[in-house]
Parts: sequence; C-alpha cells; structure tokens
Amino acid sequence: MGILENKARARLFYKYLSKVYDQVNPFIWNEEMRTEALDLLDLESEMTVLDVGCGTGFATEGLLEHVDEVYALDQSEHQLEQAYAKFGKRAPPVHFHRGDAERLPFATDTFDVVWSSGSIEYWPNPILALREFRRVLKPGGQVLVVGPNYPDAFLAQKLADSIMLFYDEYEADRMFKRAGFEDVKHAFMGPSYDPEVAITTIGRAPE
Amino acid sequence: MQESLLEILCCPLDKHELELEDADRDDADEIIGGDLVCTECGERYPIEDGIPNLLPPDMREETPA
Repeated sequence: MGILENKARARLFYKYLSKVYDQVNPFIWNEEMRTEALDLLDLESEMTVLDVGCGTGFATEGLLEHVDEVYALDQSEHQLEQAYAKFGKRAPPVHFHRGDAERLPFATDTFDVVWSSGSIEYWPNPILALREFRRVLKPGGQVLVVGPNYPDAFLAQKLADSIMLFYDEYEADRMFKRAGFEDVKHAFMGPSYDPEVAITTIGRAPE
Repeated sequence: MQESLLEILCCPLDKHELELEDADRDDADEIIGGDLVCTECGERYPIEDGIPNLLPPDMREETPA
C-alpha cells in the first residue's frame, strides 16, 4: 500500500498541496490532455454530470465548456476552497459536496456521465469506487477515469509503488470489467516529453 | 445547496433517503445550514455554509486517523 492510500494521510497531504496544486499540476495533467479526454465522451449541455475528486476544479472547468451544470464531490475542504473561488460556492453552475468516492452519497441511476481525474490513485479499493460509479450511472451512462500510467523504467516503478496506486492498460481493463462496465477502452495521454504519463479509461454502464 | 438536490442525495452508508432537519435558508431560499438525516440508520450529515458534508462519519475531520 502506498503512503497516500491512507485517507487521513491523503487529507493532510492535500491540505498543504492544495496551496500550490494548480501551479504544479499542469506538468502531469494539462489543458491539452483535458481536452483530449473530454473528446472521448459524448456530452450534451443538459446532461447530469458528476466529477468525483474534483479537487481545485480543473476538470470541472473543462466539463463546463460542454455541459450547463456539474455535480462535484471531494473529500478535502482545502482543495474545494480553490474550486469555490473559481465557480462560486452556490449552484449553478456547480453543485458541491464533500464525500467519499468509495461510498457515494447519490441515488442509483442518477448520472449520464461520471468523470474522475487524478483521484483514483488515492483510493484504497478502486474496484469498490468503480462499482459505485456504475451504481449511480443511468443504464448506458458513460464513465471516464484519468489515472497515472504505470511507468516502464524499473526505478520509476519502485518509486511509483511506494507512493500510490499506478496501473497499466491490462490492470485498468481488469478493474473496469470487474466493476461491471462494458465497452471499456483506454487512451494514453501526456505532454510531449512524457506522452504516456496518464491513462484514461472510458466505459459504459450496461443498458 | 438547493432543496431539489435532496432527490438525488442518499446516505453514503446504506443508500437510503435523507430528510432535511433544522434547515437554515438564505434570502434566495438556498439551504445554508441544517442536517441531512438518514431515514434508515439515523446518521446525521451536516450542511456547512451551504455545502452538504456527506463524508461517512469515519472520514470526518474530528475522527482521529
């Protein structure tokens, strides 16, 4: 288990990281990658969309270029403060909630799309969270998850394993299928100097 | 939070419906305070400055790690 998979530690980590997060973040997850990921979804303006682990609201901002309103959830109030500053604390356009990805506080068959970027690496049990995503999705609804691709180099692998969850295409496929998703596909994304740093997986809830 | 949000919210633990108690509203009829209470297990989730805190009890700030 990586050091950030303990949720209390993750919370403490983010309390301090949130201060610099939007400056540091573009090196691994930038606007170009966000656009590429958004293009993988079929979005219509009136769709009901959930952003799990919205953090400072970087992906929420991209989603709002395609849909009118976003439901956003994060466990860290310090990360959320940054998002409030961008969109305002009151809906519309963003309905904010504090909550846990593995125990979502939403009714079954609620959302057309569930999105999560840069969050899966902190979940102690990703399959549990993915099953929750499937539960809150309407039949045929779309899921999109961006996470860190497992590095090829041996030393980077050791470092990766000690910090948090990384996974490759094979592992992603296994997790999404075990969680009950269909039409599971993967795309690799990254800046030109590290073009496969992120793995994006899409899938659909069964009809 | 808007009151209509209640239709899609549920208890994160047992997924049963939530009931609004002791609601505080602002001029725009937004709910800014109060509790969301699970109709099954009775767990209470506070609304803090308009943001529903639906973290399970073991993940709330005051819970020691």
